[in-house]
Amino acid sequence: MKKLSVSLVAMLVLFSLLASLVMADNHGDMAKVRVLHASPDAPAVDVYVNGDLTLEEVPFKTDSGYLEVPAGTHDVEVFAAGTEYAAGEGVLQADLEVEAGKAYTVAAANLLESIEFVVAEDSMEVTEGQAKIRVGHLSPDAPAVDVGIIGGDALFSGAEFPSITDYAEVDPGTYDLEIRLPDGTQVLPLEGTELAADTVYSVFAVNTVDSLEVIALVDYEAAASPDEMPTTGLGTPEQSQSMWLLIGGALFLVAASGLVWRKRFQ
Amino acid sequence: MGLCGENDFNKLALLLTAVFLAGCTAAPQDEVSVRSAEVGYAVKAEPAWTEQPKELEKAKAVEKEKPAAQSKQAANPINELNQPGIAPETSDVTHLGVTDSGEMAVPDNGEELSWFSPGYQPGQRGRAVIAGHVDDLDGPAVFWDLTELEPGDEIVVAGDDRELRFKVHTMESVPLDLADVDSVFGYHSSPELVLITCSGTYDYDRGTREERLIVYASLVQD
Repeated sequence: MKKLSVSLVAMLVLFSLLASLVMADNHGDMAKVRVLHASPDAPAVDVYVNGDLTLEEVPFKTDSGYLEVPAGTHDVEVFAAGTEYAAGEGVLQADLEVEAGKAYTVAAANLLESIEFVVAEDSMEVTEGQAKIRVGHLSPDAPAVDVGIIGGDALFSGAEFPSITDYAEVDPGTYDLEIRLPDGTQVLPLEGTELAADTVYSVFAVNTVDSLEVIALVDYEAAASPDEMPTTGLGTPEQSQSMWLLIGGALFLVAASGLVWRKRFQ
Repeated sequence: MGLCGENDFNKLALLLTAVFLAGCTAAPQDEVSVRSAEVGYAVKAEPAWTEQPKELEKAKAVEKEKPAAQSKQAANPINELNQPGIAPETSDVTHLGVTDSGEMAVPDNGEELSWFSPGYQPGQRGRAVIAGHVDDLDGPAVFWDLTELEPGDEIVVAGDDRELRFKVHTMESVPLDLADVDSVFGYHSSPELVLITCSGTYDYDRGTREERLIVYASLVQD
């Protein structure tokens, strides 16, 4: 994007024509990416995308919110915050391929010594009136777990580190959930979890097993959009005026030259 | 005598032609079209997590309903828009949906604004969209001066019992056929406000201007 804006400045004269085309064009080819720091013993990090410092000082347990990036493959590299950038020297590097119109979560997971990316595509749709949820197991030393209703069925079974489950659609409402071992032993209660209609959630279990906690993120909330932009002008510029001036001028010239000719022939 | 007369006439013709040409260049220009040729900027968004750590530190398991709680909808989220510094400073906002042809509906007058109520509410994650006319039959309308907004300018949305402040970060004038409607009205992980009016040259065949001026602003978290 930086390069784009620089070249746009260079094309100042063509700005109105080209820039709007380029910008609008890009809009249609954008993907959404959010970065989540889920490595419990790693320091705050800087994230470079294609060599540009894109996220600065992201601490553990925080996410960037969705960033708009052009579709395509991007070189994503993670450095301890404040480290000088050198290509290929980061603690973590990946070529991330993103498709237009899709959204992704890129989590930096595991302990620092074996830090790794966990990438998942996020859902940007939900059945009307339903809630949608998935869980991510990002606690490096925790065993495989189930997530379910306390005293009831499991919504997700056998989630292992490092993984992010598929989504499950549920009726909206308040749920008493828990993270538990497959044998039913509770690991972490998640009572009073409110899941709203038309909303998509990701719940990530992070930190080490002795201080396990969750980060709940909203992936998407549905709302309607129109098919077309509004027609936001009631007036009509005076096309007639300049047109008539031109026509009038032409008529005048014809008439004048006619007079001249007549004069000559007289 | 005849020669002289012809000379005089030619002079007169020249003079008249000159006057006509001068009149032509000074002919009233379509101001909206002229101004929309020069607009457009984008400010890099501030990283969202500068405000988040506080919230997330508290986000222990039991409080995890927070995302849902935040998206609670207000009964009447908006009835007034304030754009300090550009005229008119305060405008009434009606709630409208789509027209029969699928367009975002707009008020039938040049004074009011309309919020696309089937879409996101101001303050909800996603883009709340407000449209207004650039001109009406008498001349400039409510969003005539929208191009005057600068990066960082504040826009205040007032509902029944709350006020939300948004900060302008991007302005672009997009050809109608290239506008990505789903993105303009779409989901965003932080609350945004989008203001739309017409721009570009008037397309007499379509009966509307060729472009839309789109201003993006992000919520100022208190």
